[in-house]
Amino acid sequence: MTGFKRLQVALSVAAGIAVVALFLWRPTAVVYGLQRAGLYASIALPMALVLGIVHIVNLAHGEMMMVAAYLSYAAARALGIDPLLALVPTTIVMFIVGIVLYRLTISRTVDGPELNQLILTFGIAMVLGQAVNMIATSQPRKISLDYVSASATVGDVSFGVYDFVFVALAAASLAGLYLFLKKTRLGQAATAVGQNPRGARIVGIDVQRTYTIVFAISAALLGIVGTFFMTKFSIFPTVGGSYTMRSFSLVAMAGIGNLPMIVVSSVILGVSEAAIQAVPHGGGWSPLVFFGLIILAIMIRSFRGGRA
Amino acid sequence: MKGLQTEALTIRFGGLTAVDGVDFSLTPGEIVGIIGPNGAGKTTLINLLAGIYAPTSGRVVFDGEDITAVPAHRRAALGIGRTFQLIHPLEDLTLVENVMTGFLFAGRRSLRAAREAAAALCRDLGLGGLNRSTGELNILETKKMEIAKALAVEPSVLFLDEVMAGLNSTETLDVIRMVREIAAHRNLGIGVVEHVMGVIKELTERVVVLDGGRLIAAGPYSEVSQDPRVVSAYLGGSV
Amino acid sequence: MSSIEQRPRRRAPWVFAALAALLAFLPLVAGPYPQTIARSVLTYMMLAISWDMLIRSGQLSFGIAGFFGLGGYAAAIGATYLGVPPVLTLVFAAVVVGVVALLIGAVVLRLRGMYFAIVTLALAEIFRIVMHNWSSLTGGPNGMLLPRSAFDGNSVATYLMMLVLAAVVIGVSEWFRHSRIHFALTAIRDNETVAASAGVNIYAYLLTAFAITSGIQGAVGASYAQLFGFVTPESSFNVNYTLIPLAMTLLGGMYGTWGPVVGAVLLGVVGEYLKLFIPYGHLLVYGVIIVLVILFMPRGIVGLVRGHLERSRRTTTASEKGGAA
Repeated sequence: MTGFKRLQVALSVAAGIAVVALFLWRPTAVVYGLQRAGLYASIALPMALVLGIVHIVNLAHGEMMMVAAYLSYAAARALGIDPLLALVPTTIVMFIVGIVLYRLTISRTVDGPELNQLILTFGIAMVLGQAVNMIATSQPRKISLDYVSASATVGDVSFGVYDFVFVALAAASLAGLYLFLKKTRLGQAATAVGQNPRGARIVGIDVQRTYTIVFAISAALLGIVGTFFMTKFSIFPTVGGSYTMRSFSLVAMAGIGNLPMIVVSSVILGVSEAAIQAVPHGGGWSPLVFFGLIILAIMIRSFRGGRA
Repeated sequence: MKGLQTEALTIRFGGLTAVDGVDFSLTPGEIVGIIGPNGAGKTTLINLLAGIYAPTSGRVVFDGEDITAVPAHRRAALGIGRTFQLIHPLEDLTLVENVMTGFLFAGRRSLRAAREAAAALCRDLGLGGLNRSTGELNILETKKMEIAKALAVEPSVLFLDEVMAGLNSTETLDVIRMVREIAAHRNLGIGVVEHVMGVIKELTERVVVLDGGRLIAAGPYSEVSQDPRVVSAYLGGSV
Repeated sequence: MSSIEQRPRRRAPWVFAALAALLAFLPLVAGPYPQTIARSVLTYMMLAISWDMLIRSGQLSFGIAGFFGLGGYAAAIGATYLGVPPVLTLVFAAVVVGVVALLIGAVVLRLRGMYFAIVTLALAEIFRIVMHNWSSLTGGPNGMLLPRSAFDGNSVATYLMMLVLAAVVIGVSEWFRHSRIHFALTAIRDNETVAASAGVNIYAYLLTAFAITSGIQGAVGASYAQLFGFVTPESSFNVNYTLIPLAMTLLGGMYGTWGPVVGAVLLGVVGEYLKLFIPYGHLLVYGVIIVLVILFMPRGIVGLVRGHLERSRRTTTASEKGGAA
């Protein structure tokens, strides 16, 4: 417990130092880094929820976000509305998708070997990616929106304003999840199930129902993130894949079940990525540092967790 | 010095000290009972001796050599055998293959030699139907397989972690007879963890009592069972 | 009694092997198109077998495409800069990739389950990024051409080369199945604590299995480079090389040589037809197969057949026994 606390403090301090140092060197990189951190955290939080309570790694996580992005894109195109108006229907549809996906597939492996869960969700990721590829082709899609390109200048630093929507989204998700888990009966039940499924069953909590709802909430959150994602970035069938890995490494870095630390980990990842891209000619190699960080985070986490 | 000794063996998990400064010894030829209420640290002690856990402090000495840093698979090869409280058959292997693994890896025998040795050992313990899957075994056979697996590393010290649990009285007597025979014929030191005091009384020459990770008493069962600390440990415990 | 149980078990693989040999040489007389399909079936089959060999230890790798691509690049680099003769690039790639896997494995094989799986996925990305960016050595995004291809591209000779490689891979897999490695990996998969207590050096066996299976994937990648005469970051590290072998192994059945073989032949041939009907997204079928097999047939085709055979055998031996008792 104490070692765990120490690691948290160390990570937070590291994040702080990195931000300050980078700010002195390249102020724009800090802004980009924080915006990126917002995006990462808002995608990783739903995964952390599922991993912490249902105890499965959903390797289709990024693909579900991608599907949500396409849903909003299709709605906006078909109805000629602003994509952000598609937020509500997409979120509802994703909630239902979450229920169906959980009931039909994941629930059948939830008590089985971890291996089967990993292979199953890997298969689901492939199905989602390939299905979208078949329906919408691999051509990148984008709706250009005026308000997305709004920028602001502070001193001599100029940056996009719209991207802060991801920071707000991350903050809202974290606050929402916190309130859900601590203040609602359902959330408290979910926490209990996450800590001790057998015990929860004995107390009379319907474990499968709780898992279903938690998974559906995670899917609905991805519906929200996916909608905002498509207003800002081009979307294509493989756009989600790397976010599965990013999210997993953030959860691993934060420690499974620790939602606030996701934000700290996201800041570390976002700001260091922005810092590497600020280095001249660093652009092409920056993914390497990113994947290196992923592996490092996972290695450190597993060494600490090995004894428990 | 032959056998297994520990010096001030301690392990902490987070804030909990599961085994606390335990001095324990087991020499070939003797049967020692390891008793104590639930959560006293008996299984943890076995895991420390078998090398599954690394201690926070203290030493483990085997045949005069410090093996504190020796990993579990090499301790098995050195001659430390153990059964598991929660039985874990290797369910993708057959009965004889389960028993083979010890001969194969700890004993470094060839496949053929290991299979023959395992078959012979199973026969000694009265186990037939060697090519059955572990799912087909009844509880007595499962327990015997666990003992056979532990014997397959050709140990000089052996730990039996609640092998009688779940057996009826006839089966228990059967296993007690078996353990006696093993001790007599193989010159082993045997550490027996058991909740049924009748079994401990039957089998062991001396017992050690753990409570809250500490060794609170040691000696012949008849003396130790009168010890007020032991009595209060059990009364204060969950038994 | 044991002799009764042994006999039928031994005959089946021989019949099977004879049939396989017949099938293997069929494309030689069947013309160029079947040969192309057969080469692709063999490629995926070898990857499927190698993936299975590692999962017998319980370690799930999503990094097949990574070692496959790395092998292709090792072959291209060896041939271009070191003058390694075309056919020997297969051996060269196997050794290079095996050593890389050994070094990486020494660190990452402390991980288990989801942690290991995700790291292998990340490793595949890392290999691709390195090859993509190290332009002076690898030609960057454009990839590299091999100076000369094996047997100057003679299709019969290259097919035979693939066949020999496949025979070697099947041989290694069978060696895994019938040596002490089988017992070590199975014990590790079932329960690591029990395995260690029986004297199994878990780390050493995992490292061996990881290096050998990665080496195989590297050799297969090299053979692919020889077949097509070039490597590029996008084609050589394509996720298909992870996805398709995985689907094949699951369909055929895990934890043995013949599951991946059956799965590769079935899906490889079916996959070719699918490509004709649904050119974009035929991979959807592979994803669906993965999902359906895990949910409804986790032991695969070979597992089903074997289970059926064992049940029928057990009823016969039981009736024989019943007569004796």
